[in-house]
Amino acid sequence: MSTQVPADLSEATVHEIADRRDEPDWLRETRLKALKAMDDLEMPDVIQTPGRRWTNLDQLDFSELADPLNQADDTDRVTDEGVEVLSFAEAMAEHPSLLEAKFGSVIEPDTNYLTALSVALFTTGTFIYVPEGVDAEDVTIRTEMNSRSLFSQTLVVTEDSSSVTILERIDSGDDVEGDRYYSNLVEVDAGENSYVQYGSLQTLDEDTYNVTLKRGDADVYSTIDWIEGNIGSRLTRSDIETELNGDGSETKIVGAFFGHDDQHFDVNARVWHQAEHTTADLVTRGVLDDTARSVYEGVQDVGREAWDTSSYQRENTLMLSDDSEADASPKLIINNHDTEASHSATVGQVDQEDLFYLTSRSIPERDARNTLVEGFFVPVLEEIEVDELREDLESQVAARLRE
Amino acid sequence: MSSDQDHLKETDTEARFEFKKEERSSFQADKGLTEETIRVISEDKDEPEWMLKRRLRALEQFQEMPMPTDWPGQPDLSEVDVDEIVPYIRPDVETRESVDDWTDLPDDIKDTFDKLGIPEAEKNALSGVGAQYESEVVYQNMQERWEEKGVVFCNMDEAVQEHEDLVREHFMTKCVPPSDNKFAALHGAVWSGGSFVYVPEDTTVEMPVQAYFRMNSEGMGQFEHTLIIAEENSEVHYIEGCSAPKYSAFNLHSGGVEVFVGEDAHVQYSTVQNWSKNTYNLNTKRALVEEDGRMEWISGSMGSKATMLYPSSVLKGRGASDNHITIAFAGEGQNIDTGAKVYHNAPNTKSTIESKSISKDGGRTNYRGLVHIADGAANSSTSVECDALMFDNESTSDTMPYMEINESTVDVAHEATVGKIGDEDVFYLQSRGLDDDDAKQMIVSGFIEPITEELPIEYAVELNRLVELEMEGSLG
Repeated sequence: MSTQVPADLSEATVHEIADRRDEPDWLRETRLKALKAMDDLEMPDVIQTPGRRWTNLDQLDFSELADPLNQADDTDRVTDEGVEVLSFAEAMAEHPSLLEAKFGSVIEPDTNYLTALSVALFTTGTFIYVPEGVDAEDVTIRTEMNSRSLFSQTLVVTEDSSSVTILERIDSGDDVEGDRYYSNLVEVDAGENSYVQYGSLQTLDEDTYNVTLKRGDADVYSTIDWIEGNIGSRLTRSDIETELNGDGSETKIVGAFFGHDDQHFDVNARVWHQAEHTTADLVTRGVLDDTARSVYEGVQDVGREAWDTSSYQRENTLMLSDDSEADASPKLIINNHDTEASHSATVGQVDQEDLFYLTSRSIPERDARNTLVEGFFVPVLEEIEVDELREDLESQVAARLRE
Repeated sequence: MSSDQDHLKETDTEARFEFKKEERSSFQADKGLTEETIRVISEDKDEPEWMLKRRLRALEQFQEMPMPTDWPGQPDLSEVDVDEIVPYIRPDVETRESVDDWTDLPDDIKDTFDKLGIPEAEKNALSGVGAQYESEVVYQNMQERWEEKGVVFCNMDEAVQEHEDLVREHFMTKCVPPSDNKFAALHGAVWSGGSFVYVPEDTTVEMPVQAYFRMNSEGMGQFEHTLIIAEENSEVHYIEGCSAPKYSAFNLHSGGVEVFVGEDAHVQYSTVQNWSKNTYNLNTKRALVEEDGRMEWISGSMGSKATMLYPSSVLKGRGASDNHITIAFAGEGQNIDTGAKVYHNAPNTKSTIESKSISKDGGRTNYRGLVHIADGAANSSTSVECDALMFDNESTSDTMPYMEINESTVDVAHEATVGKIGDEDVFYLQSRGLDDDDAKQMIVSGFIEPITEELPIEYAVELNRLVELEMEGSLG
């Protein structure tokens, strides 16, 4: 059973979006193809155990959530020397053939129902181009969502031996009554020996359903590092993925989330080792309070030809409330024996001995607990190269603890 | 080589595990599965009406249920055609009354068991044997002092007659209902044979209870049912072992095991299985554990074309605990999908799962496990450790654990590693005069030791020999 496509998501809607944006034919065709594909596409895979599905994506009612012709956002793009950070409209003018070649090359629009929907309807986004040999550090994209729904598309292309650090900040702007939907597809095409760190933090309001798929294609000797911070939204479905297609390529996927009230975070980290001498490290830490729920899947897939692979995964969840729920499924799929792979997952409370130690030194229990939770995130914070992102995440955690 | 292995020298190891007897059957149900077949089985066993009803209900459920096909990376079951499986064969031996003495068995059946080393178990004064040749238990030997204590160990068919109330209450009701999965339903419809163990309050059965199962008819399935009831403060260790010869047609084995662990009771269930390489081994094994009770599952899964086996424990009572130790070995063309399930449904419950797997020559192993901690199961802890060893680039080793944690006062840890045999380890052993094969053999023996040390020496030796057989000549 594929999901019903809402009636107003018609070809006419897609044409209107393309007309308004004065898009080239190939992009219009791509959108129409994605729309057509939706008829036969399923929701993204969700973990099932006997008798239950961990996340119910079928509850997303796009006839309510999607308002494709009234999308509004306020996006601020900051660039660094030598890097082009452009809106899609600008990119189509300045790099038409590059955009055509790379768009949809890492994430195929018909990956699932939600990606196709996003490609058909996106009206905002950013194209980041890092020419050969350029080292850039301070690229930031700040997006405020000002409408019921917003569909965004980000494309990062790095040429050989370049490096770039990108910070993406997503927040809610103008108030909208009722539920909202935010979708963000991020493609990273990392050229040979290039380096990308893509850090993202979302603090959307808690009426927003947030869906993001970020995938990187790592060429020979390249590195793609992801930081994914989830604080806001009512429900988040986040998939962070790297395909290690080039010999000697590396990836690190670092995730942090802090859920409270009845937030639901479905976070996923996946890596495919497809070449020789590749390395992956997946680190996710999350905290749950009130009746929040987290669902985690981490996949390390080592292909037949991935000789000399190193692949590690750690996921730790801290439960502050007895009414919260933490579900986790780290997976190893190993098809080459020349591999060193491990994963681990833990769920528990703040360490009672640590708590006792602090309270016995006259620190009030609540403060002691907060200190320990802040400390819990340190291994994740240490991975973040952009000071602004690190401090931002730290203060979000601190603010939530002191609510 | 220790003297513990002496009895193994008597027969060539290869011959011990791969041999085939001419079928001896007095009765063979028609191929395929109909209500009529079920009625015939039930009538032949002279079963009470309620058992027939249960069988027919299970058959209905079986027919309604879909095949399990949507699990990520699961074995391909498309070749499993239950219509081609003969669900019931009774050996031509008088089994209505248990045989009390080994010598009363027909020679060829004895010979079968000789090759499996069972008489050795006798010689070593192991407690009792219920040996399943085809679908019924044909040999039972119970020591008198057990009977004095009120311990019951008999075949399942006999238990339906002799201990009707106990069986009626516990048989596929609370523990593994037929609705659990398609193969549990199939099992409920056509089950035959198996063991019934009852241990009364405050009783410890010091000796392991053993049963051997064999398949020896082309294209037939085995659906033995094991029911173990351990009353309050009792203790018992049940061992089953399997080894089936090769056949050209595929076989289906779909056993059911139900264990009731009473308050403060301790049950250990150990099994070493070595089905022939064309058998589909699809079992449902579950234990319900009451307050402070302890359940231990020890399993070695070798052989078979595909195995799907996830022994599970439901920790119902406060302080109940569970231990799983599993080993899986997958060689050429094999897909061994095993794991463990534990439900923590009460406070202060504890579980540990230790899983080892070896994949070689294109074999595929998968650890698939579930740990569920229910809301209210305060102060529970679980720790899961999976280690996988891979021999070559054709093989596959997967690990797919699932954790559902609804309680904050818990301690949950899962770890898994996958790797190949360390070149340095091999080099170290070679530099001390071992050849490459022996070095690897030794490393593998060390790798599986956590499992073998839990087994009585007979079985530990057998498991080691099985692993050796699997590795022999194809290493390096």
